[in-house]
Amino acid sequence: MEIQFKDVSYIYQENSPFAHKALEDISFTVEAGSFVAVIGHTGSGKSTLIQHLNGLSLPSRGEITIGDFLLSSEGKPKNIRDLRRKVGVVFQYPEHQLFEETVAKDIAFGPKNFDVEQEEIDRRIERLLPAVGLPAEILERSPFDLSGGQKRRVAIAGVLAMAPEVLVLDEPTAGLDPRGQREIMDMFYQLHQERQLTTVLVTHSMEDALAYADKVIILNGGKKYMEGPPLEVFKQTDKLQEVQLDTPEVIHFLNQYNERFGTSLNYQHQTLQELANEIKGQLEVESDE
Amino acid sequence: MDRKKLVEFKNVSFQYEEEGALVLNQVSFEIYEGEWVAIIGHNGSGKSTIAKLLNGLLMPKDGEIVVDGQKVDDDTVWDIRKDVGMVFQNPDNQFVGATVQDDVAFGMENRGIPREEMRERIQRTLSAVRMQDYLITEPHRLSGGQKQRVAIASVLAIAPKVLILDEATAMLDPTGRKEIMHTVNDIQESEGLSLITITHDLQEIVQADRVIVMNKGEIWEETTPRELFLQRESLREIGLDVPFVAQLTDELMKQGVELKEAALNHEELLEELWKFNSKM
Repeated sequence: MEIQFKDVSYIYQENSPFAHKALEDISFTVEAGSFVAVIGHTGSGKSTLIQHLNGLSLPSRGEITIGDFLLSSEGKPKNIRDLRRKVGVVFQYPEHQLFEETVAKDIAFGPKNFDVEQEEIDRRIERLLPAVGLPAEILERSPFDLSGGQKRRVAIAGVLAMAPEVLVLDEPTAGLDPRGQREIMDMFYQLHQERQLTTVLVTHSMEDALAYADKVIILNGGKKYMEGPPLEVFKQTDKLQEVQLDTPEVIHFLNQYNERFGTSLNYQHQTLQELANEIKGQLEVESDE
Repeated sequence: MDRKKLVEFKNVSFQYEEEGALVLNQVSFEIYEGEWVAIIGHNGSGKSTIAKLLNGLLMPKDGEIVVDGQKVDDDTVWDIRKDVGMVFQNPDNQFVGATVQDDVAFGMENRGIPREEMRERIQRTLSAVRMQDYLITEPHRLSGGQKQRVAIASVLAIAPKVLILDEATAMLDPTGRKEIMHTVNDIQESEGLSLITITHDLQEIVQADRVIVMNKGEIWEETTPRELFLQRESLREIGLDVPFVAQLTDELMKQGVELKEAALNHEELLEELWKFNSKM
């Protein structure tokens, strides 16, 4: 499903002394089946933006279209339940929302609410478990007896069990160790590719944005600050620095390298092996001169 | 150099449940006065259990823990908690005061520190974490990183001999993370106390004097950060990520670029490349 923001503003407690503009004139498009990363500091408007993607918040001004759904200040569309089924949101620390007696019941809770039949739910769970890296034995255990990483996988399975067409991820790897972080991100990327899930990732990690996203949107103070393919955006080191955002480490290093050696090595998603090779080649050329 | 031994683990084993798996298995190490030791390991490696044993939140099943000459047991635990200050992961679970200064005062009130002395310590410790301008700020107005800095000040205010940061940056954004690491550097220099930082992020161990790597409840390695960064393959095997600089160094060496030192940061790696370049 395609997502389109047209001049969207969102004002908390409008018409009160506490009115606060959380989003201001934001426009962008997330193409169907693409992977977009939204980056910004705490307070930049990222969370407010997410709340618009399944109609938890409605724009104060402007319009949002998500597939056939239209969200505006006019009120919720009648079929908002359909929207919420089609847009799966993995909130921060989703494991805090687990509550059922068994893993199976917890995963089934969402689809059951949307009147999916138990047989179909079972079929989905069976397909889902390997995708999120959980063993079948886990289904009858209490979610509260699992490790942190496993709990998070259960919570994610609960979102996927609704068979969403759009996946919204709010810092899905926060608090996990490096291996856990990599496994979860690889899992989402695989789901994105296999099921053509339109994916919106809200993250602090420039590295993840660089590795997975087709497009990066940078928010600052409620406004869209930059938008483009990751390589284009992360090239603009100075502009990022103006709003205290880092560039991914590999790009930062190459910038420093180029400055020191007067070269112009570029990052184009090379592996580290390829990069080392380029650096070596460049050093050899230099010493021949 | 003859340094004072401040913390000692002697063959410590621990399990949460009878017949459960050993979370710590025969762990022994020592930490000296004024030293910064990083304890690193993946989730479930036993690193946080060490922290909880250190101030008597848990008691060992086997072995012995000695803090500043005193064995940790049910009789000494309250004394030992005066010496061992801890900051935990979640910034929202440790704020007890209605304002920043109340929060720092809380621990001191419990210890009956006189009012004038309290004022002085609040000023000094909040300055140490660069939060002196927020005395009467309410917690919900602070960022995660600021809350953690106040938590550090609150612990410093009771003048511990050892400060433990148990994944204190794990829930923070990159800015908050930098703030904390900066603060830790500052107070390590200014207060001269022993510091134990527990983390799964290898970037955060670079400035430690020594690093203890935990794996499956055992000490996997005890070394310096620089030496550790050389062991790329085996670190990955135990679930840790090697920093970019170490990975690139490794690739360069594999391709015949001879670099002498294992670089800890960009500047050092560039310097090594520069030396290599001028030799060719």
